[in-house]
Amino acid sequence: MKVERKVINTDILIIGGGTSGCMAAVEAKKCYPHLSVTIMEKAHIDRSGCLAGGMNAINAYLNKGETAETFTEYVKWDSCGLIRDDLVKSMAELFEYGVKQVEKWGLPILSDDQGNYLPRGRWNIKINGESLKPILAQAARASGSRIYNWMVMTNLLMKNNRVTGAVGFSLRSGAFHVIHAKATIMATGGASRIYRPNNPGDAAYKTWYCPYNTGAGYAMGIRAGAEMTSFEMRYVALRTRDAIAPTGTIALGAKAPQINAKGENFMATRYAHLGGDHAPTPFRTYGPLQEIKAGRGPVYLDTRGITEKQVSDLKSAYLDMYPSQVLYWASNDIDPATEPVEVQATEPYIVGGHCQSGYWVDADRKTTLDGLYAAGDVAGGAPFKFVSGCWAEGVIAARSAGKYVGSIPASEISDAEVTHEEDRTYAPLRRHGNMRYPATPVELEALLQKIMDQYAGGATTGFEMNEEMLLNARKQLSRFPEALETIMATDLHQLMKAHEVIDRVDVAAVLVEHLLYRKETRWPSYQTRVDYPERDDANWLLFVNSRRVGGKIEMLTRPYEGKEKNAGLD
Amino acid sequence: MPVWIDPEKCNGCYGSAQPPCLRMCPGDLIVKDTAANKAYLKYVNDCWDCLPCVKVCPEEAIEFHLSSQFGKGARLIPHVEKGKDKIVWELIDRMGKSETFSIPTKIIAMALDEKLEAEPAPVDFSI
Repeated sequence: MKVERKVINTDILIIGGGTSGCMAAVEAKKCYPHLSVTIMEKAHIDRSGCLAGGMNAINAYLNKGETAETFTEYVKWDSCGLIRDDLVKSMAELFEYGVKQVEKWGLPILSDDQGNYLPRGRWNIKINGESLKPILAQAARASGSRIYNWMVMTNLLMKNNRVTGAVGFSLRSGAFHVIHAKATIMATGGASRIYRPNNPGDAAYKTWYCPYNTGAGYAMGIRAGAEMTSFEMRYVALRTRDAIAPTGTIALGAKAPQINAKGENFMATRYAHLGGDHAPTPFRTYGPLQEIKAGRGPVYLDTRGITEKQVSDLKSAYLDMYPSQVLYWASNDIDPATEPVEVQATEPYIVGGHCQSGYWVDADRKTTLDGLYAAGDVAGGAPFKFVSGCWAEGVIAARSAGKYVGSIPASEISDAEVTHEEDRTYAPLRRHGNMRYPATPVELEALLQKIMDQYAGGATTGFEMNEEMLLNARKQLSRFPEALETIMATDLHQLMKAHEVIDRVDVAAVLVEHLLYRKETRWPSYQTRVDYPERDDANWLLFVNSRRVGGKIEMLTRPYEGKEKNAGLD
Repeated sequence: MPVWIDPEKCNGCYGSAQPPCLRMCPGDLIVKDTAANKAYLKYVNDCWDCLPCVKVCPEEAIEFHLSSQFGKGARLIPHVEKGKDKIVWELIDRMGKSETFSIPTKIIAMALDEKLEAEPAPVDFSI
């Protein structure tokens, strides 16, 4: 099987045309119109990734009276004391810039009679964002960036420790694509489907986080030796039962508190010292999990008594983002005004937007690899990013990448290296018909999810873990490379699925090392170490980072630098 | 089956090789049977229930259904009003009671077909 090879030269390569990637493209062309900008997108840019279904709120916004400083303090408190203040503050300073721009592109934002945005909570404003993704895509197209849809990127290209582009294949034509870039912005999003999902069988993809975000951006960086941070701060989300829709819409929109099966507002009674129903986000998942563990489940958001208008507003809000929630209520005769809405915890996701798992970056969003920048869910250290923070990071990364491009020459990659990457990319397809006992992507995904679920704090153990379990996960994952040598694809779609498994195994291996390393419980439910149940600021108010060197994952720590500017990376 | 493309209503967007539903699926789950000139959901277990395919179908040929795990019997139909930048959602519960929700949005025009940028000749991957 000989594949066609296509070579693309660009100044700035953006991997992933999502929330951050589209904004980065627009900003790059705005600041550096003479530079060529190319987006490589795994699906079609109009409806890819997290925003495919839409969004009903901007959840990181400075409402009247708030500042980048008050936001940073809040996020630090919400993230149990550990964040990169410099990153969080610099994104907050750009919330307004991003939101105003997207409003100009056509996003309907709800306003009062005076034209002030309608808040939905301290940091939230309401939008009609069903078409947020096509709006962003339209802007990216209009910017003059070149957009390639259905491109599955499989690895970064490196020369003298500098990232010089990426390689991948077209899901449509099958052609191998070699992109030479002076600067690369990684904006793929985070990783779902590492753990066994909530719903079995035909609903396994009914996850909260986009199931097509499969950690490719992390994995490419891990394989290239980039430093990663805080993978152990997994995101275990509190979501509605079955539909797995966000609960903020109800909790903030209808001011509904959590109650247990006995009708007790347990957050108010047991977690009053942390703020009750307004406790830091990890505790709003930890609290209900403890109720269920103690036999006081199921747990609900108490919507009883809300008005007909409020019910209608809730449904409208979900139609802009998770329409399945509305159909679910209608299919199960549920009226939130008379019946509380049951909630559950989701399987853990690895994200840098709600939590802070991702590339270790400096204030310019430069990673530890020259020529590589990161923005959005794939970038670490800055939780509570959500949509507007991803925009802000796209803007910062684009400005930095453009500046860098001006100072470096193009570099050449040897044909041998490109051929090596091509062989690696198509290996699962080439096994087709040449192996007696091939493994399918589906079965290896199941194996990965089972290991992670049982030994690395999945739903089966109530998201809890200890050293022995994690060592078991490490041991089982260490056998994976052998299994991956047999993964087979029968067509291009299956080749994408094969790479999604390969990428997630690399992410999972790093995740387990991070979970093993942090010997405290900083974020209950996200990272519950039953053998180290307390938060230990004396020893662990620091970042756990990692770097894969020669196939081995090396752990290191970085100090928490508080309000001081995090100067440089070394 | 989460979304079902009614073969009676699907006209294949005429001769489109990549009709909007196929392009707008973020999971690459919809394919077109060119012989029958119909699109269908090929990978039924991999659907996220995100609905771009349903909203973008010019024939309203795509029905949204929940998995049996979540309950059957109700209907949710988005009517996209292109000239007015809004979607009117029609919700019919199990008892047949209907409700509508008219929600502002921004409709971005969508062609019935789209070529890949600098499309190379497809490679035959069959063995």
